[in-house]
Amino acid sequence: MKAILLLARYGWLVVLLLVCWEALSRFHLLDPLFFPPPSALFVTLGSLTISGEAGRQVARTLERTATGFGVGAAFGVAASAVLALSVTLRRAFQPLVSALYSTPRLTLLPMVMLLLGVNDISRILLVAFGTALMMIIQIADAIRAINKDYLDMATNYGAGSAMVILKVYLPACLPQIFTALRLAFGRALVLTISVELLSCNDGLGSMIWNSWETFSIEKLYVSIALAGALGLLFQWLFSEAERRLVPWKGQTS
Amino acid sequence: MYNHLIVSMADAILRCTRLGLTYSDHGRSVSALNDVSFGVRRGEFVSLVGPSGCGKTTILHVLAGLLAPTAGTVQVLDEMPGQPHAASLVFQENSLFPWMTILENAAFGLEMRKVGKVQRERRASATLERFGLADRARDYPHQFSAGMKQRVAVIRAFLGEAPLLLMDEPFGALDYHTRMRAQHELLDLCESERKTVVFVTHDIDEALLLSDRILLLSASPGTVVGEYSVAGNRRRSRMFKRDEQVFELKRRIFASLRLTADFARCSCAL
Repeated sequence: MKAILLLARYGWLVVLLLVCWEALSRFHLLDPLFFPPPSALFVTLGSLTISGEAGRQVARTLERTATGFGVGAAFGVAASAVLALSVTLRRAFQPLVSALYSTPRLTLLPMVMLLLGVNDISRILLVAFGTALMMIIQIADAIRAINKDYLDMATNYGAGSAMVILKVYLPACLPQIFTALRLAFGRALVLTISVELLSCNDGLGSMIWNSWETFSIEKLYVSIALAGALGLLFQWLFSEAERRLVPWKGQTS
Repeated sequence: MYNHLIVSMADAILRCTRLGLTYSDHGRSVSALNDVSFGVRRGEFVSLVGPSGCGKTTILHVLAGLLAPTAGTVQVLDEMPGQPHAASLVFQENSLFPWMTILENAAFGLEMRKVGKVQRERRASATLERFGLADRARDYPHQFSAGMKQRVAVIRAFLGEAPLLLMDEPFGALDYHTRMRAQHELLDLCESERKTVVFVTHDIDEALLLSDRILLLSASPGTVVGEYSVAGNRRRSRMFKRDEQVFELKRRIFASLRLTADFARCSCAL
């Protein structure tokens, strides 16, 4: 019952668009060669699922995303802690981080490949790098935004520096750390698929590019939709985790 | 009856001597406090009253050890010498940690003094229970009204083992009825816990209701310009404000405020 309600609230526009698309394609108002009706796409999805190709490609993409994201997030949190403690390092790294943040990550791929070769290590490292950058910027903001009253309050009650970090800095930053994780995962997925599009033989990105080159239009749409569905699924999972682990943040939509 | 008295420094728990605080604001030297001297006796409730900008909050932050004075000394004469942070501060707002439950917040002072989890939660629960907050002990502050948050902040200060409590207009932002309730609870706690309290307020009625003694401050730079003792140790009876002597005292404080401080600003603050 709750699921139906959620579907009605969040899904009606998607359903409406699909129905319109179906109708336009069926009545040849859209060229079905370029815009095959969604019903045909579902059939393609079914056959790709049964053949196991969809599962395999999604698994490859997820594997790269998750590894890169995991390594990057861990490094990002650790690096943020170091930067939070040292003003000297913070100042030294600030221009570097800002410059790298506004460089499209994908443009660094050739450089990484020159360094480490054309292999998965390079690809995953690039994803990790993008994730770490996002985490560092977000956590730095969170630390700057901590209300000084809370620090004063902890100090006044006799908290030492370890206690202040554990009882104030960490929980105060946690909501933003979660937001950063959620956003960084989205970016990691985008980056993985982009890298696969450029230089891979497997994964959703390469599936999209191969479909384009072989003019398998239905497969092209299905792989794009799969990428979108992955993004949706993980955004939801992260929001759900945040709601459970950061109960003081209150209910946000 | 309301004779002017200077605390004999011998029985003071808190002793401020010629406190001064100057800071530089864009290269200009600003004097926030000048020559502030007063003492507070053990178990006494002293209010600091004055117009906004007279440095009341600054004094509390100096007493709490959050600001270092640029002149003079603060001595908190603790029963347990050598123990740091003998003075607990109750903030005006943001007074609870949003990421802790009400119970965890209330027990925070005990936690920082290394009281075990079971024991500190038992003590905190008992006090929350006493003021009808026990059934919401597992809630987070964002689910609480401003008044409830301030009541919990006061409870936390009383639960901590600091003998001296510093309160910075804790009820300033509350509506009339909530404020009355919070004041009642504070009186109740004062009677049962025997703490020493320095209370900052701009509300003269509140000061008269709660205090044993009222110190009047003037603005820029902040300095003590008057001292009034409030008679009677049954503070509760003052709730009814029928006492003509209290009324007379109030009149005198108002008159003094008019003489010593910028009246326009005072009448706003009062």
